Amino acid sequence: MSIEAAASSLVVGVLLGGIFSLTALGLSLVLGVMRLVNLAHGEFLVLGAYAGYYLLTVTGIDPLLGLPLIAAAMGLVAAPLYRFLIQPLMGRGVEAPMMTMFGLSIVLQNLYTAAFSADTRSIETGYSALALNLGPVTVGLVYVMGFAISIGIVGLIHLLVSRTAFGRDLRASAQDAGAAAIVGVNVPRVQMLTFALGAACAGAGGTLSGLVNSFTPASGAAYLLNSFAVVVLGGLGSVLGTLLAGITVGILQSLGGVLFGDGYRDLVALLVFLAVLIVRPQGFMAGRG
Amino acid sequence: MSANNPLLATHNLSKLYGGVVAVDKLTLAVPRGSVTGIIGPNGAGKSTLIGLLSGALLPSGGTISFGGRDVTGLATSERARLGIGRTYQIPRPFLDMTVEENLAVAQWACRARVRGASARGRRAELLRECGLSDVATQPATQLPLLRRKRLEVARALALEPQLLLLDEVGSGLIDAEITELIALIRRIGSWGVTIVIVEHVLRIVRECCSQLLVLNFGRQLAAGTPVEILASEEVATVYLGTAHSQGATAQAPNAQGAARLANVAANPDALANAVSAREPLTVLVAHRPVPGAPAVAGAPLLQLTKVSASYGQVRALRDVDLEVHSGEVLALLGANGAGKTTLALVISGSLPAHGRVAIDGIVVSRTRPGGIAALGIAHCMEGRRIFTDLTVEQNLRVAARRAARPEVAARLDAVYTLFPVLAGRRGDPGAAMSGGQQQMLAIGRALMARPRLVIFDEISLGLAPIIIDRLYETLALLKQAGLAMLIVEQDVNRALAIADRACVLEHGALAFTGAARAVREDARLRRLYLGEAD
Amino acid sequence: MARQLKARSAGFAALILALALLGVAPAVLREYDTQILLRMLLALVLAESWNLLAGYGGLVSLGTSSAVGLGGYVLVGLLNHSILPLPVVILAAALSGAVLAALASPGLLRLRGLYFTVGTLALAEALRLVMINVNQFGGATGLFLNRDPPALGALVWIAVGLLLVTLLVMEFCAHSGVSLLLRAVRDDQDVAAQMGVRPFRVKLAAFAAASALMAAAGGLQALKLGAIEPYGMFGLRWSIDTLAMVVIGGLGTRAGPVIGVVLVMLSGELLADYPEAHLALTGLLMMLAMRFAPRGVAGLLAVLPARWRARTTGA
Repeated sequence: MSIEAAASSLVVGVLLGGIFSLTALGLSLVLGVMRLVNLAHGEFLVLGAYAGYYLLTVTGIDPLLGLPLIAAAMGLVAAPLYRFLIQPLMGRGVEAPMMTMFGLSIVLQNLYTAAFSADTRSIETGYSALALNLGPVTVGLVYVMGFAISIGIVGLIHLLVSRTAFGRDLRASAQDAGAAAIVGVNVPRVQMLTFALGAACAGAGGTLSGLVNSFTPASGAAYLLNSFAVVVLGGLGSVLGTLLAGITVGILQSLGGVLFGDGYRDLVALLVFLAVLIVRPQGFMAGRG
Repeated sequence: MSANNPLLATHNLSKLYGGVVAVDKLTLAVPRGSVTGIIGPNGAGKSTLIGLLSGALLPSGGTISFGGRDVTGLATSERARLGIGRTYQIPRPFLDMTVEENLAVAQWACRARVRGASARGRRAELLRECGLSDVATQPATQLPLLRRKRLEVARALALEPQLLLLDEVGSGLIDAEITELIALIRRIGSWGVTIVIVEHVLRIVRECCSQLLVLNFGRQLAAGTPVEILASEEVATVYLGTAHSQGATAQAPNAQGAARLANVAANPDALANAVSAREPLTVLVAHRPVPGAPAVAGAPLLQLTKVSASYGQVRALRDVDLEVHSGEVLALLGANGAGKTTLALVISGSLPAHGRVAIDGIVVSRTRPGGIAALGIAHCMEGRRIFTDLTVEQNLRVAARRAARPEVAARLDAVYTLFPVLAGRRGDPGAAMSGGQQQMLAIGRALMARPRLVIFDEISLGLAPIIIDRLYETLALLKQAGLAMLIVEQDVNRALAIADRACVLEHGALAFTGAARAVREDARLRRLYLGEAD
Repeated sequence: MARQLKARSAGFAALILALALLGVAPAVLREYDTQILLRMLLALVLAESWNLLAGYGGLVSLGTSSAVGLGGYVLVGLLNHSILPLPVVILAAALSGAVLAALASPGLLRLRGLYFTVGTLALAEALRLVMINVNQFGGATGLFLNRDPPALGALVWIAVGLLLVTLLVMEFCAHSGVSLLLRAVRDDQDVAAQMGVRPFRVKLAAFAAASALMAAAGGLQALKLGAIEPYGMFGLRWSIDTLAMVVIGGLGTRAGPVIGVVLVMLSGELLADYPEAHLALTGLLMMLAMRFAPRGVAGLLAVLPARWRARTTGA
């Protein structure tokens, strides 16, 4: 492979990484605040991709313009889902909510197949084929736009979490739900809103993913694992950490593709994930003091 | 305390959590066949020590040796197999199994090929010794607290240990049960088992232990025979607070502080001089019910009627009646495990309970914690529970819920005036602060909601006396400003010095109540804390 | 005590009888139905093994497909490239499952709760990707079985045998001292260690046993198909379906796996023309179970007599 092609591939990796960080953010927030493993997260992402696809093909609205709409819709659907499906289970340990989300992922995946067929799709806009030349490096325009928007959204969420009252409530609930409740925080409401926020991020991230990659109803598992890799690498509760981790995963994926071949991109991310999970001590392992 | 060939020995054992030193270069030796007691105030490092000895915690430094061999890095299961058994302070039976099966686990783990009959026989024997024969086939979930404690001991014995670590087995027991427990401990000792007891109930250590070790701030303060230790003034002051009355006031090292308190309470000018303005206190302390909230005229601020609460099967509170009026300070006293913190949690809405909890005469028994906070009741929780990830200022702001911006700013200023230390560290994360500073932050946080009543739960825990002095001076100022308070305290004299009335809990029920002075002089108080006459 | 023993022996005899009937059934069933019978037998093996791991051991694994796929590939590989007889090859396939568990354990078993689950999922997906991309193992097109596989009827007998072994293992793990160790580790690992239990070894034993059984089932599946490829053999379907069956039937109960397998396969046949609807229904049932019947259908059936009694006596 030529130097230019390898360099382009790495730059694309960075840009993709930005999108990864957005897709992983929803998972990280929910896991941090509620200790809830959203095993349906991948299917939320896929839903975002389908939403973008059909928004474009049915109404002609550009998915990037329609992003706020998609995110808002996902959030509005997710809130009652959490309230009626998951919240009743929240006192009962970690297994029940996790299994419920797993059941939901099965339902969603098959709904997609029934409704949208199993065909591979991708979101093709007028500018999908345009490329940007930055010196020796050539990258698709959609990657740059996806990256920019992702960074923007992640930045906004960082501000939300670190500077606003809601962000304070969120972090307090994540750290010590009991103390937060006594101090007056409406912890169940914070959890519901966090879940909705997570779903909105997933929707937006999914649409952007659909712009740069093809997808099928079964893409959820790969998306989920990718997001998880970013989450464990970046550390729970750190928005900026998730951003850096996303970019790292993107670069590693590209490296894998360049060095070993295209089929190994996902594998590299998975191996990194497993390695981090096993090695990294903070809160992921049974610990002694 | 050194003897040749001790069964258990530590050398410079340390445990650090971030900046906090829980156990500080501890060197001790436990002779074979002895019964060693470890006592010390809350936060002294006793539980950490048990964790280090049993293998649940990895030391930050130092070594542990058992039977002559180094076990410092050995996993818990290996230490258990070598013969170190332990009980847990809060019993942790295998809930999914019967009582007998709980014992069988250790037998099966260590000697898989043990012959059925002899193992069964040994189990029956142990159950008999621990008074559990009649519940052998009952699921562990159905056992009340006392029986669960016995199961803890029986289960540890099923390991056939050489060393038995007993972690506060005596808490929550009544006199008769303590007598039985002492007999059991003596029997176990007569079998040749070496015992280490961490305990608050002094009667047990007095009657069972051949030697006593006093811990304070993770370090060994004193060692010797129970008679020597319990007679020592130094130990008494540090450990018992000043509740060991033999004419307590004169010798108490915080006598100075107590005098200051009395002075400040009596003399408004001294108050004005001590801290710059009374204004902070008006901003932070409310006197009337929240506008718009329903209230019954003339009703006490807080009233509990026949309140009972349980943790699963375990009854923690029994039919407690209690009242706090506006501007009044009530001290809530009682031994460890008596139910003080449980009561605090019930009041602040975190624990569901039977009975009637009323604020301003309106029943709030089923309200969420946030709802209670909105009615003007704040809870300064045991263990501080500040948000270590948030900065000092963020911690404070979280608590000022519906207030308008200028109001919040005014309250922040007020808290910073009251605790200048916090002002200088307002941008620092909670984790970076010392214990005393965290306690100040917790108090400030409670005040940010402009409460009418604050529950102070064990604010003196693990703090040096001089810092506790300062905290109680602040409390005196708040009392002056008209804040109603419910003070849960282990240090009896401090609480009674500032309180108007006192309630004493025992085993979750109200033992007696009365005016602070009367309670202090009541002989029953001494008995509660120190057991029968020495 | 003697009565218990008698009841156990009677139960055991009944079981042998039932299995024997299943074994001879192909003689009277149509081929289509025999295929379903074989599928059901294999699903039962997987469900019982998974129940051991997740229900009794507390290790909720999404890595069933790793073991199944590995067993299938090992079987085909050995049959193609060696002259070992079939029984030995099946044993080798089972062994490969145990080896996989042993190799993965130092890393995976240190993870607790949800991280273990996600870790198994990652491992399963990683294996699948490796098999797709590495051409030595047939790559994306897979492998063909060179030897003639046994007839369908014989396959059913082998499956019955495997199921019998599985049930014996389950019986041992659920009713002996081993059961105490498993439950202790599942309920409170730290306290178990305090009792001298070595949690890692106990978990490893359960993990290895379950993986061995799953791998053997995978081997049989490969034998039945005659041609295998990574998407099918290492596909997540194995993990998802097994989990769903056991959860619906009743996680941690003895009857759960059987009830779950029968329910899900029955509904599968009824909705044979609408596979997505069937799967969506399975997911929905899982969610309902979590919400209203945490111990699954078996749990519901267990409390029904008591509730009925309470209602009829007006309690």
